[in-house]
Formats: sequence, structure tokens, C-alpha cells
Amino acid sequence: MEPIILQPTDDTPEVILNPEEKIFRIERVSVPEDAFEFYQPIIQWIKEYGKNPLPETVFEFNLEYVNTASNKQLMQLMLALDEIAQNATVIVKWFYESIDEDMLELGKRYQKIAKRINFEFIEI
Amino acid sequence: MLQIIKFIRKANIMAMQIIDDSLFDKAFDLFTRIKQQNFEYVYRGFFSHNISKKILSLADVNIQRSLGVSALQKRIYYIMVEGLQNISMHQEDADDYLEKYPGIFAIQKQQVYYYVTTGNLVLNERIPDLKSRIDKINSLDKDELKQLHKEVLRTGAISDKGGAGLGLIEIARKSGNKLVASFELVNDKYSYFYLQTRIPIQKGEEETGDDYSKLRSALISIKKLHLTLNVENILLYFNGFFTQENLLNLLSIIKGRMNLSLTTIRLSNVMVEMIQNIIKHGHKIDDNEGVPGIFFIRQLDSGDFALLSGNYVTQEKKKLIEDKLNFINSKDLDEISELYDEILLDMDNVDSLRTGLGFYDLRIKSSAQLQFKFLKVSENLYFYILQTIIKNVN
Repeated sequence: MEPIILQPTDDTPEVILNPEEKIFRIERVSVPEDAFEFYQPIIQWIKEYGKNPLPETVFEFNLEYVNTASNKQLMQLMLALDEIAQNATVIVKWFYESIDEDMLELGKRYQKIAKRINFEFIEI
Repeated sequence: MLQIIKFIRKANIMAMQIIDDSLFDKAFDLFTRIKQQNFEYVYRGFFSHNISKKILSLADVNIQRSLGVSALQKRIYYIMVEGLQNISMHQEDADDYLEKYPGIFAIQKQQVYYYVTTGNLVLNERIPDLKSRIDKINSLDKDELKQLHKEVLRTGAISDKGGAGLGLIEIARKSGNKLVASFELVNDKYSYFYLQTRIPIQKGEEETGDDYSKLRSALISIKKLHLTLNVENILLYFNGFFTQENLLNLLSIIKGRMNLSLTTIRLSNVMVEMIQNIIKHGHKIDDNEGVPGIFFIRQLDSGDFALLSGNYVTQEKKKLIEDKLNFINSKDLDEISELYDEILLDMDNVDSLRTGLGFYDLRIKSSAQLQFKFLKVSENLYFYILQTIIKNVN
């Protein structure tokens, strides 16, 4: 599968989805005006990837700011990963600043809903 | 027992409401006072190199919206650069007082002029020198100014502040008008130094001596605003057109002036939600100009922060916003959290007022209920003010 590599901007995160290198990562800031537009291709890619996933997918999230519009899109992304976790192992590494309990709480929300994913919460 | 607990809880909520209402009224009062002055852009606070850069681009975005990219816009830009440099140069002298007496930078558009005003602390002992420099510049005509500029460049008559006085000369040349300066004594060591320049929107509006009193009154309005912002402890103030670009600039200003903490992160996140809410639902008065509005952050006596936004909405939007806010305020935090999870899963991306998480997020991060007010502006238009309180948890 063709990898997705997006450079970060002031309001969108860096995104690397590369099965060959086993790198799945979203990091930095996600506060776009139109989160739907930004995340749709990414979610589509993950659904496509789910047809023939690696035995183990380790997905890293290391986000600094997230707006609520992105929260909703990330929920869709988690659900797509949760589908994959039906037949393969999916680990989400959720990084958060030690002081940022709100970011930890957001990760816990996703964990509560996407039950088949193994969540690891990692304090920076 | 349960009854008593419930009663106590209710009483607490009510007490909180009473306190917050008075805060809200004060903020509203402040807002209306400021609103009448036609400020295009105002910043109050510390001016680091990085913050100055952001202020410059924020102000420039606003000016470009009214003027387009033009020779005039470039002149104003240039004057702003010099003015901001002037502030950061002088604030080095006042390190220990900056927290208590921050500077101000303001852009105002009135009739046929733009006004660029800076205000910052200077050492009292520097006042005579500054005054004589400004008087000298004001006594010269266009050609003489050009001559002086050349001379200073050539002889390198560097002032002890490294500015060679070139900044002031440049500001005077670019504006084509006299400089207006004013000093306000702060204490035995410092004064505020206000410098105002006015730039005619149309050529040929050059200064005549008797206009000087008008300039003075424009300066007095800024001085009053500065005093108000200082008294009310407003950390960040923005008045202009809201765009994503402006929001990102404001975000970096917060980042630049506050230490990283849970409170700062919350302030930033709440600001993003409030301003994106304005961008999405605010009413444009003129299609070309974006959504006009106001946003400010106050630090309260308790140390907590109040974030306040104001913008126009149509009657139809008013109803939706009102219903949603009343609904959210009627729920306790556990209920809000459950609703949050439900909405996370709601796939509707079109009607964000119905299915958006913004207000829920504000309520969760806020230590109190969300406060709001609608003021009727015309038949179908309201001015909508929202206040969120963020507890200082550091």
C-alpha cells in the first residue's frame, strides 16, 4: 500500500502511515477549521489497510492541541482501528504531557469505546 | 441526608452563579466601553521578539482586510515594525516592572486616518532626551527630515539605546505627519511613554497645526483603554476579524507569554473552541471582511481566568445556541461527560451546532456554568457574548 506522509502545518498534525516501515503516527497540533476534510482520506486509508493488515499494528498518537472537531474524526479513526483489531493485534500508544490530564482523559474516552484496541498510555 | 447534600450542592451552584454574574456584567460593561472606539487591533502585554512578530502579522491581516495589499498598507506595516521595535527596546530597561505595567500596541481607524499607537515604560531620566528628539523631528519639514535621516545614517550618531533615533525619524517620514507623544508618571522610576502616529488613508491629508488637538483626543482614548486593560488585568485582547490565521497567531502569543501548564493548555484549547465557534457561526456584516468579533482573557483576583467572546449572530442561530447552552447548563458534569461520548460517535458532520462538541468541551474544562447574553442589534441580528471561566490549577 502507498504510504501516507503529511508534513505538519500550524494547524494540522504530522501524519505517517507506512506499513512497510511499520510506522503509524499522528503527532503535534490538530486544530484545523475543517477536520472532516483533513481526516477523511486518512480514515479511508486505514479502512483500506484493514483489508490486509500487518499481524501487529502499533499506532502512535502524540498530540499537543486537539480541537473538538478533530476529536470526532479521531473517534472515527479509532473505530476503524477497532475493526482491524477483530482479526489482528492493534496497539495504540497514547502519549501525553505529564501535566496534561485533559489529553490523558481524551485517550481514555477512546479506550472506553474502542474496546478491542490495546491502549498504552505513556507520560512524556 | 441525601436531601441535605442535594441542598448544599444547589446552594453552592447558586452562590457561584451570583459571583459569576457580577463578573460577567463587569466584563460586558468593559466590552461595550471598548467597542465604541473603533479599534482595529489592540494588544496589551509583554513584547518579546516572537510575540512582536505575531502581533505584526495579526495587525497586518486586519489592515489588509480593509485596505488590500497596497502602498498604504505597506507604509502602515513599516510604521508598526518601527513602533514594535521601539517598545521591545525600551522594555529591557524595565524588567522588574513589566508584569505589573505591561505595554500596549493599538491600531485604530477613524474617518480618513489610521492611528498606530504604542505605550511602554521608560525610565523617567530618559524623558527629557526623548522629548527633545521628538520636538526636533516635529520642527522639521519633509526635506529637512530626509536630511536629518541621512545625517544620522552617515554620522552614526548612535543613541545609547542603539536605535540612533532612526526609528522615530522613520515613523515621522513614513506617516507624513507629526509625532504625538505623551508621558504618564507611573512611579519615581518609570513613566508610560505613549507615541501616536497617524497615517492619512488618502494622500494629501497632510497635517496642519490646528489638527493637533484632534490627535491629542485620539491618544487620550487609547490611554483610557490602556488604563482599563491594566485595571481589569486583561492578558490578551483581540478585536477585529476572526480567521483561522488570526487564531493561530493568538495561540502562539499565549504560548509565548505563559509557562506551559495544565491551565495554559486549557486556556489554549478553550480559546480554539470559542474562536472557531465564532468563525463557524458568527455573522458576517460584510461578505468580504470575515467575521467581526472580540475576544479577551482576564485574570481574576482569585487567579482564575475568564475568557470572553463577542460576535454577531442571526436570530435563527441565537435560538439554536441558546437552547444548546441552556441544555448543557441544566446537566451536571457526569451527565455532560456521558453526552460527550455519545456525540463523539455521532457521524453528522454537517450541522455542527446540533452535533458539535465545542460547548460540551467548554463546560467540562470550565469550573462554572457557561454564561451568555444576547443583545438585540436589529430585527434579525443579535450580539452574542459567551464567557468561560478556567480555574487556575497550577
